Amino acid sequence: MNRDASPVAAFRDQYAELMRSAFLIDLQYRASIAIWLIWGITEPIISLGIWWSIAAAGAVDGYTREAFAQYFFGVALVNQATLSWDAWNIDRWIREGEMNYRLTRPIAPIHEAIADNIAYKGPTAAIILTAWLVAAVFWPAARIPFDPGRWMLAIVAIMLAAAIRFLNGYATGLLAFWTTRATALVELQFGISLFLSGRIAPLSLLPPRVVHVAEYLWFPYVVSFPVEVLTGAVHTTAEYARGFAGQVIWLVIWLLLYALVWSRGRRHYGAVGG
Amino acid sequence: MPAAIVATELSKTYDVKVRDPGIKGALAALARPHYRQVRAVSAVSFAIERGDAVAFLGPNGAGKTTTLKMLTGLLFPSSGRAQVAGCDPWTGGNPFRQRIAFVLGNKQQLLWDLPPEETFRLNRAIYGVSTADFSARRAELVELLVLGDLVDKPARQLSLGERMKCELAAALLHQPEVLFLDEPTLGLDLEAQQTIRTFLGEYRQRHGATILLTSHYMADVTALASRVLIINRGRLLYDGELSELVARIAPIKRIELVLSEPVTRARLEEYGLVAHFALPSATIEVPRESATAASARLLADLAVADLSIQDPPIEEVIRIAFGEGAQDADAEPETPIRADVRRAPP
Repeated sequence: MNRDASPVAAFRDQYAELMRSAFLIDLQYRASIAIWLIWGITEPIISLGIWWSIAAAGAVDGYTREAFAQYFFGVALVNQATLSWDAWNIDRWIREGEMNYRLTRPIAPIHEAIADNIAYKGPTAAIILTAWLVAAVFWPAARIPFDPGRWMLAIVAIMLAAAIRFLNGYATGLLAFWTTRATALVELQFGISLFLSGRIAPLSLLPPRVVHVAEYLWFPYVVSFPVEVLTGAVHTTAEYARGFAGQVIWLVIWLLLYALVWSRGRRHYGAVGG
Repeated sequence: MPAAIVATELSKTYDVKVRDPGIKGALAALARPHYRQVRAVSAVSFAIERGDAVAFLGPNGAGKTTTLKMLTGLLFPSSGRAQVAGCDPWTGGNPFRQRIAFVLGNKQQLLWDLPPEETFRLNRAIYGVSTADFSARRAELVELLVLGDLVDKPARQLSLGERMKCELAAALLHQPEVLFLDEPTLGLDLEAQQTIRTFLGEYRQRHGATILLTSHYMADVTALASRVLIINRGRLLYDGELSELVARIAPIKRIELVLSEPVTRARLEEYGLVAHFALPSATIEVPRESATAASARLLADLAVADLSIQDPPIEEVIRIAFGEGAQDADAEPETPIRADVRRAPP
């Protein structure tokens, strides 16, 4: 063991190497990643196409064509920076016995997943951001007002959203310790989030009852809120406070759920395979 | 110095869902699930001293891998205790994990898409190995395992044998005190098996590492371990020297003959049990203690071109031991078999 290194330096070293190998693996799969990226932006482009036609006659509940364009460019960026596929990895690790060696290493498997997320989302979100910037040069509708202060807040909101979605996906994926249907649960949440997180339409356009239900869940805080901070739809101090408070509460809830499922699951683990 | 591995009355019971066959059975199990308790490991106790190499033998499903997974902290036992490298495997946390390595022959931990060198780098950081230690250990492992430029090829392009050599190197960079190997030579060709065996023996001598391995290849066992633990149906049946087991289970010697003049089978039966008869060669089994006398008589009475005295094949001995244990275990489930040769933990 490297006894000279401080615990912080050792941890940073672990993360640097985990991210490095995750990035090198991603490079091996660059063609697949390009296809996923195209698939990822297809959904907001289709939504934008539909709302663009609907708004031809005039603004829909305050949303003009330009507002829809900004909103869905925001959705493409935020969704890419916050999506979570970890449940499928955990499911494979547990089902095929790949969890075994991960459990004998002196680092919790969640750190490998976090490093993997950073290594993937950083570059791919940067690609989408670049595409948005290029689009904004040629298409005024895609431009959002220049406001670095709000962009900084948007970055914080996106990071919190990414953490909530990650813990949500990871903790649900850990249910694979008990059931073979953990990924189905994640897919169900993914389906619900299409509506409740604002991926198909801005939340304010959904029926009031649906919005009311969504307010008690984490979904609005993982896509809708960061997008609206970015586009300026959220701008009063009260709206900021409410949104960030919701994000922090859901982050803590999912962190606690992760800790609970992890400690119980470890004890329950049958160490399949081998 | 405390023992490297101490298992005390380790047991593991699984709840297994039972259901009748067919759709009706499946629906009934859905409505009212029934569970049956299966004892995978039953009150297993043993101790292994530092630097020793011990082989864990048993048929498939005997409880070997379950025991290994408990000792590495992967599985929590239903009851019992263990100490490995001075730590409790289930509460020892990262300091415990720093002291062990667990290599599973049928599961790989090398990064599949990248060269093994990348896994080495990653493990250096994960185990917090200093750059100087890393360089020295990496060089030693590359030399001992004859890895050459294999470390720069993507792992997915390596043969099974090459991959296992790299797996071992990756698992040993943090220089673990205790090495658990589950079927390390599974599926490898003879040459690769031999390389791994030679390496493990050499590595243990150099670094005093304790090794507990399971294998279906007796050559692994005879090359690496003088002591064996035999387990069947979750119960420890034998703990002791391999040679002692051979003497106990099969108290015979095999006299292998090459005759320069033909003799009848009946003539040879005067000396012992004729196990093999295909002139000019023949094999006679005799009680262990009379092997020398029988050989002397054979040499005096017959035209013998060549004669050698052998132990019975180890595979045969182990097969008999598994069989005996299984029968005894059924008859007397509460009494440990061959308690006289079991080693009690200190």
